[in-house]
Amino acid sequence: MLEWKRIFTNWKVIVVLVVLLFSLISIYPNPFKKGVVIKSVEKNSSAMLAGVENPKPTAPPMSKEIIISLNNVPIKNLNDYYGFTSKLKSNETVRVQTSKDSYVLRTKDIRPENLGFRVDNAPVTNLRKGLDLQGGTRVLLQPAEFVSDDTMGLLLDSLKERLNVYGLSDIIVTEVRDRPGFFGEGNRFILVEIAGATEEEVVELIGKQGKFEARIANASVFKGGNDITYVCRTAECSGIDPNRGCGTVGGSWVCGFMFSISLSPAAAERQADATKNLEVITEPGRREGYLSEPLKLFLDDSEVDSLNIAEDLQGRAVTDISITGSGAGVSEQDALFDSLENMKRLQTVLITGSLPVKLEITRIDTISPVLGSRFISNALLMGFVAIFAVVLVLLVVYRRFRIAVPILLTSLSEIFIVLGIAALIGWNLDLAAIAGLIISVGTGVNDQIVIVDEALRRRLSAERVYNWKERIKRAFFVIFSAYATIIAAMVPLLFAGAGLLKGFALTTILGFTAGVFITRPAFAAIVEILIGDDE
Amino acid sequence: MSLKQSLIYIYDKKYKQLLFLSLLLLLTCAGFLVFKFLTTGEFVSRGVSLKGGITMTIPAETFVDVHELQSFLSNKFPNADISVRSLTEAGRLSALIVEAADVDEDSLITAISSQGIVLERGKFSIENMGSSLGENFFRQTVFAVLIAFVFMSLVVYATFRAVIPSLFVMLAAFSDIVSTLAVVSFIGMKLSTAGIAAFLMLIGYSVDTDILLTTKVYKRREGSELERLFSAVKTGMTMTATALAAVVVAYFVTDADVIKQIMFILMVGLIFDVVYTWVQNVGILRWYMGRGN
Repeated sequence: MLEWKRIFTNWKVIVVLVVLLFSLISIYPNPFKKGVVIKSVEKNSSAMLAGVENPKPTAPPMSKEIIISLNNVPIKNLNDYYGFTSKLKSNETVRVQTSKDSYVLRTKDIRPENLGFRVDNAPVTNLRKGLDLQGGTRVLLQPAEFVSDDTMGLLLDSLKERLNVYGLSDIIVTEVRDRPGFFGEGNRFILVEIAGATEEEVVELIGKQGKFEARIANASVFKGGNDITYVCRTAECSGIDPNRGCGTVGGSWVCGFMFSISLSPAAAERQADATKNLEVITEPGRREGYLSEPLKLFLDDSEVDSLNIAEDLQGRAVTDISITGSGAGVSEQDALFDSLENMKRLQTVLITGSLPVKLEITRIDTISPVLGSRFISNALLMGFVAIFAVVLVLLVVYRRFRIAVPILLTSLSEIFIVLGIAALIGWNLDLAAIAGLIISVGTGVNDQIVIVDEALRRRLSAERVYNWKERIKRAFFVIFSAYATIIAAMVPLLFAGAGLLKGFALTTILGFTAGVFITRPAFAAIVEILIGDDE
Repeated sequence: MSLKQSLIYIYDKKYKQLLFLSLLLLLTCAGFLVFKFLTTGEFVSRGVSLKGGITMTIPAETFVDVHELQSFLSNKFPNADISVRSLTEAGRLSALIVEAADVDEDSLITAISSQGIVLERGKFSIENMGSSLGENFFRQTVFAVLIAFVFMSLVVYATFRAVIPSLFVMLAAFSDIVSTLAVVSFIGMKLSTAGIAAFLMLIGYSVDTDILLTTKVYKRREGSELERLFSAVKTGMTMTATALAAVVVAYFVTDADVIKQIMFILMVGLIFDVVYTWVQNVGILRWYMGRGN
């Protein structure tokens, strides 16, 4: 009894318990959670029209909106959901009750069973599944030529914009380099991961340059690609419009922006033709008037913006034209910011029509969700059985539960802590990460064995030359050297292979770090209490 | 004689023979790799993730003859370097893995479907990697292994602050890698990026056990050298036994190809580690410390 008290009042053990508590909160498990989670909402769908919001992809899984019932029919899982929706007829009313709110939807005429939700079974923890475990498409793209940091930023924005416009919001678009910056240039790649999309969708969207079109009164004037040869983003031809500046309209501030673009001669001709018969509209207080039809910009056949054309462009085949627009806000600052954001967004869209650099698809992986979910249940099984095997070996070698059980608990704590960190930083677990976790526990047990052996030997030999502290210090010397070697081995993996093995390296490094600094010192303290005193 | 006494006897008197045997083992493995390189141009066969191509993972419920499928596909696409293998989960067939270079996706899918295997979009996985990216990954991951080796040597030297024992430790790690690579190459396993990650893990692990051994024998002073040696062996064996238990179990239970390859390499590497740490490194240390007398 006294031993338990001493164990739980030891400060190192308390540290472990506190960290475990944080991990628990971070993971937020709820195995009994029922319902289907809303992963995204389609544009112009019944759901969006009823006011359902598209969830942020970075939000923690357990905080996302869950559909609990449809027309008072409880929805516990995907089967219930699809079972209900497949019976829907057109123009029916559906009452959707979610964990956050209730909505009233009206089904569409065509395909009434599609309410506009992309759903999945409700998550039971905050752990995010990587593509390997939930299915989807992963694409690795490489620019066909050298790109500067600015161009890379532009590429990333363009890709995200395209994917968002298409309606895919559960996406990751990042740059990956295959070596750290200070080692020299290396190759730059763009990694796009989209959960739940098919390969065709993705190849169409980002493998091709994208369908951008500008129309005046339904006549196509210029398209992305060859028609726009240049979009200005530098200070001398873009920014706040000096002719209009900022001013108040009603109760709020409005600022105007402008930037120039260059059209190909053919596109310029078309623009001249389209504008020559339009009327001019003048506004009081503005020096220049503008034409009666705006320039409408379409990305993949959805209108993304509508711009006014300055009157002096009417009928002229001008290759350099100014695009203008504005932004608003409650203060001048807000209006300025909004205006520049709008300008940037527009530039991106125009530039998206003609990607600055051709992108090559160097790798596409399509991972089936069926295989993915099998991997998860298999991984859990594997984890349990592996731990069981390790404990068995320990019992055979040491023949005492007093040793095997603390080792088991220490290893389990390490796993739990790494998972807690993963949930906290919102990092996606993939297969390689799970492998790394198992390995770090399997070999991490080594450190505990070293500690135990130092403790046991003291009992066997008659010599009592070294006291307890000395022994533990020596055990930890070996442990720290081993730790340093493992970290040294894993660091290159954070970068190699375009970072695709990062998950493996990270779980291994985190597992070892949590072990060496948090759980194993506590283990040493527990061993001291349980064994060290039996003399 | 008890186990302890017989082991001590072996270490005391016979260490030279053991050392010789372990060096012989190393040379055989290295020799095989060189032979393979001279005849095929590479040390080890590379899978799709290291040279480019397509990998398909098809869940399979009913029995499929993998050899038949492989010969059919190889005949259809003679330049494509096709391999088909099965993935088992605890003994039961769970999936087929088809790897192919120089074939386009659609032709491959059509060919496989024509053999009566159901391919439903969304049920199978397909990874398509360009060959220049694959080459790139291969060079990088090999480079990563070299960097790890260098870092490791620095850490080992910092631990012992003596050049010679550090060299012995690195030799044991090097032998471990070379032998494991030879086995992987010999059975024709196709190395993937995950496999290289396993090798990195192995370097770390085998240096781990060597540091344990060398610290106990070289740096400590209590008891006789042989006693220290024996206690180091006992601790080290327990460590390897638990690691092996985890890895072997994971190898048999998993149904993910990536994990299977990692676990297989670790399994082989851990077994070799027993030889190279507890025979080769011991023998060398014994000799090194003995010659001063």
